[in-house]
Amino acid sequence: MLKIAKDKLPELLKAWAINAAVFVPQEKGGTRVFQPWDGQPSLTLDGGNTLEPPKDLFFPRTETMYRYEVQGKEAGVTEIPTFDGKMVLVGVRSCDARSFLIMDDVFLTKGYVDEFYRRRRENTRVVALACTQNAPTCFCTSFGIDPGRAEGVDVQMWPVADGYLLEPITAAGRELLDQAGELLTATDTAPPPAAVPGLVVDVTGVTEKLQGMFEHPYWTAVSRKCLGCGACTYLCPTCHCFDIQGENRGNSGYKFRCWDSCMFSEYTRMAGGHNPRPSKKERLRNRFLHKLQYFPERYGKFACVGCGRCLDRCPVNVDITRVIREVKEVAL
Amino acid sequence: MNSIQEQMRARARELLTEGTVQMVIGWEKGTFWYLSPPTFVTAPEDCDRLVWDEFCTNNLAKYLLDYKHTEDKIAIFVKGCDARGIVRLLQDNQIDRERVYLIGIKCPGVKDGRQAAALGEEKRKEVPLAEKCRFCTHPEPVVYDELLVPDGGEALREAAAAAEGRFAEVEKVEAMNPDERYAFWTAAYDRCLRCYACRNICPACNCRECIFDRSQSGWCGKQMNRSENMFFAITRAMHVAGRCIECGECERVCPEGIPIMTLNKKIIKDLNELFGEYEAGVDLEALPPLGQYKLDDPDEFH
Repeated sequence: MLKIAKDKLPELLKAWAINAAVFVPQEKGGTRVFQPWDGQPSLTLDGGNTLEPPKDLFFPRTETMYRYEVQGKEAGVTEIPTFDGKMVLVGVRSCDARSFLIMDDVFLTKGYVDEFYRRRRENTRVVALACTQNAPTCFCTSFGIDPGRAEGVDVQMWPVADGYLLEPITAAGRELLDQAGELLTATDTAPPPAAVPGLVVDVTGVTEKLQGMFEHPYWTAVSRKCLGCGACTYLCPTCHCFDIQGENRGNSGYKFRCWDSCMFSEYTRMAGGHNPRPSKKERLRNRFLHKLQYFPERYGKFACVGCGRCLDRCPVNVDITRVIREVKEVAL
Repeated sequence: MNSIQEQMRARARELLTEGTVQMVIGWEKGTFWYLSPPTFVTAPEDCDRLVWDEFCTNNLAKYLLDYKHTEDKIAIFVKGCDARGIVRLLQDNQIDRERVYLIGIKCPGVKDGRQAAALGEEKRKEVPLAEKCRFCTHPEPVVYDELLVPDGGEALREAAAAAEGRFAEVEKVEAMNPDERYAFWTAAYDRCLRCYACRNICPACNCRECIFDRSQSGWCGKQMNRSENMFFAITRAMHVAGRCIECGECERVCPEGIPIMTLNKKIIKDLNELFGEYEAGVDLEALPPLGQYKLDDPDEFH
């Protein structure tokens, strides 16, 4: 186990920043989000999870895909140079680390590789930070996530009184720590115990139960208070829906993709005006079925990591843990 | 323990049992002690779900739009701001007064759930008044069919509304120079996720189809960038001009903490200066300043 003193951490980030853009959680307008580290000495790694998940570093809110130009009968397409920088994400919590693996399933498996996502993902090193305290809205352990040790990361960090313990997990993580030089010292200090969330829900059997619930009146009842806004989807680390549209000016323009939300009426509106999900009942149902039924059916895992962001920010307290509990209780 | 809450449950049960109404919209206890989200009761035996506490924050008026095309009569609990939301919806012919039954509550002001979460339950008494209640001018409902009155002579307001502070945030922004102001608003709206929580909770937003749900109309694109986000912000602010009831729900529900009410209040302040004092959703008969024309209206362009 290696250790770095708290006041030396900026120096480590500085070393990493020579070859990569380093992202750390920072305060911005009263909220905490992952931001490029700009060399400031004060770090707020220990302030709990970020308001926004770090997913936009791999899957930006808005991303230009290609440009086009038309001249007479000729049309040309200009590729957008793909991302070739390097990133180091520091302070990623176990829940968000799991979300990266879920996003990988979507963008990199089942026969299609999304190049935009792949370039960013492959060029990024993830330094996880264990949780030694949690919010009332946290429920990661319900999805088998260990708040004390993240999956699929390069380096695991633990906060201790005067610094951080670090353990390289992958070869790339070892390289990162090799760059630290004198900053790290060997220690036999044991990692602090992880904070175990108080909010727990038993997800066993929920997928199978939902398979028979598409037409159940429960969806009417649970959706009544839903506002139909997209806050839950945009703050969710695993929601990955996007739309592709074009911006045209005269003879040229560009295609972009941007986040989309299944909570919006426009999401499923077809040419001609028909909408197979006409009200918030169908939309809310889809959101929960996607996370708890369709995704497990396709990828063998839930598309929820228990980060609690939706629960924390939903204006009307739509609570996925309560939905799971109620789904398991309702009579078919 | 709480006479308002007991009266709430009793009245809801009576109204549902008699068949006077088919649904009661109120609040229930949520996942945590500091959350009392909306609830919809249709059976008399479920009325004990209803609660009244300092976290019954949500303005319930907007939900009536969900039942616009049903035959049901709906009872709804209204605080001061909820009642103003009802007046707004009535003025816009969105709801039928005969099909709603309004149970008024003299609101003592609700508490800030987010700060409550940070303080912890043992400090429940210290939780401050919600931002949206700090400058409330109408804690008592402006319209109701019956009024629940607490029996213990409970103070009407735990913190007296200081109307003079109503535009304090606006004045701070007005005092900035144009560059500072630009920096202030772009920094705020660069964070905007375009989740539309502000729009969806707003009782002044009741268009059948919203411009922002028509991204291919060419008005406002779906890209989350400064230009489109600012267009969204300004369009929405102008759209609720003269109709914003200052319930503050947009700002409360914004996941990014954007000071939306500062924008809305700037417009309210300007309207007051240009067209005379007007408070939306207070008087059913008083037309909104932008919904009427007077020969002596100022016509200079600001």
